[in-house]
Amino acid sequence: MTTQMNVNDYAKAIQWQLSDIISPVPVYANFNRNFATQTEFVTWQLRNVHQEVYTGIYQSNKGIDRPIFQMSVFSSSMEKGFQIANDILQALHGYSGIFGNPSGVNFPISKADVVWLYNGYDNEINLFNIFMDCTLDIPT
Amino acid sequence: MALPNRVLPGFSATLFAQSGAEPTPLDNTELATWADVNAICIEGNALPVEAIPAYGQDDAVANFNVAGARQSDKIPTQAAPTSMTITAAWNPADTQLIAMRNDAYNGTIDRTFVILSTDGQGNFIAYAFNGRVGEFKVDPNPTAETKCTFTVHPRGNQYGWSNNT
Repeated sequence: MTTQMNVNDYAKAIQWQLSDIISPVPVYANFNRNFATQTEFVTWQLRNVHQEVYTGIYQSNKGIDRPIFQMSVFSSSMEKGFQIANDILQALHGYSGIFGNPSGVNFPISKADVVWLYNGYDNEINLFNIFMDCTLDIPT
Repeated sequence: MALPNRVLPGFSATLFAQSGAEPTPLDNTELATWADVNAICIEGNALPVEAIPAYGQDDAVANFNVAGARQSDKIPTQAAPTSMTITAAWNPADTQLIAMRNDAYNGTIDRTFVILSTDGQGNFIAYAFNGRVGEFKVDPNPTAETKCTFTVHPRGNQYGWSNNT
C-alpha cells in the first residue's frame, strides 16, 4: 500500500534542484518573460506523473511514481549552453538521494535518469537551445 | 445489499489473507459463511497485489477406450485447485507480504485467503479458500517498483462462496 505523491512538491523540488545545480543561471517553470534580455536561462516542464493503479477496493494499492521533467537550456552562446547542460548531466544523471531543498520541500529519489534529447537554434529569439528529459524514480 | 447481479470488472477484486504467523484457517462451513469470511476482509489483511490471477480448478480427465465403440469416453477425475502466482509491489515492511514470505519458507502453514469482488455499489461476492504459499521471489526490475511474486497453492476441497446478501 502506498500514498499518492504531491505534484506541488515535485514542482518545488525541481525548481530548487535545478537552481542549485546551475546557479547563478536563472531557472523558470514553463516560460521566461525576460528571454530577450537574459543570455542564458533554463525552463522546465513536468509530465508523465503516474503511480500505476493496482487491483481492488483500496485506493492506496499503487506502485511508485516515475515522473519526467523536461529541461530546456537556452543560451546566446552555444558553448555556454553545452556547459550548462553538462553541469546538469554531471549532477543529475544517476543521482540517488534527497531531491529538492534539504531545508525546505524535498523527497528521496532512488534514481534520476537524464536523457539528452537534442540541441538546436531558434531563429525567432536568437537563442541556442538544448532539450533534456529527466526521469525520477520516487519510492513511496 | 444483494449478490452483485452484473458482470464484474476484474480490477475490482481484492485479495485478503488471514494475518498472524500461525493462523487458524476457516473450516468448510465457515469458508462459505459471509460473516466469517467478511471478518478477514479488512484493510489490514489486504495484500497489495497487482492483479488477481485466474482461480478455481484445473482440468483432469481420464480417457477410456471402449472396445467396439466409435467414440472413446472422457470422464472428469480428481481435479487439483488452480495454483495462483501473484505479483505484488514489494514493500519490505508490509506485514501481510512478510507473512507470505514466512509461509513460503515454512511451507506447511495453512492460511485462509479471500478474493472479494464488488460492483462498486456495496455488493460483494467472496471466494474463500485455504492455501499454502511457495515460490516467494523478489524482482528488482529497474523500470518500475520492485515486485515480489509468490504462488498460493490452495488445499483440495477447502473453499467456499459467500456474499453479503
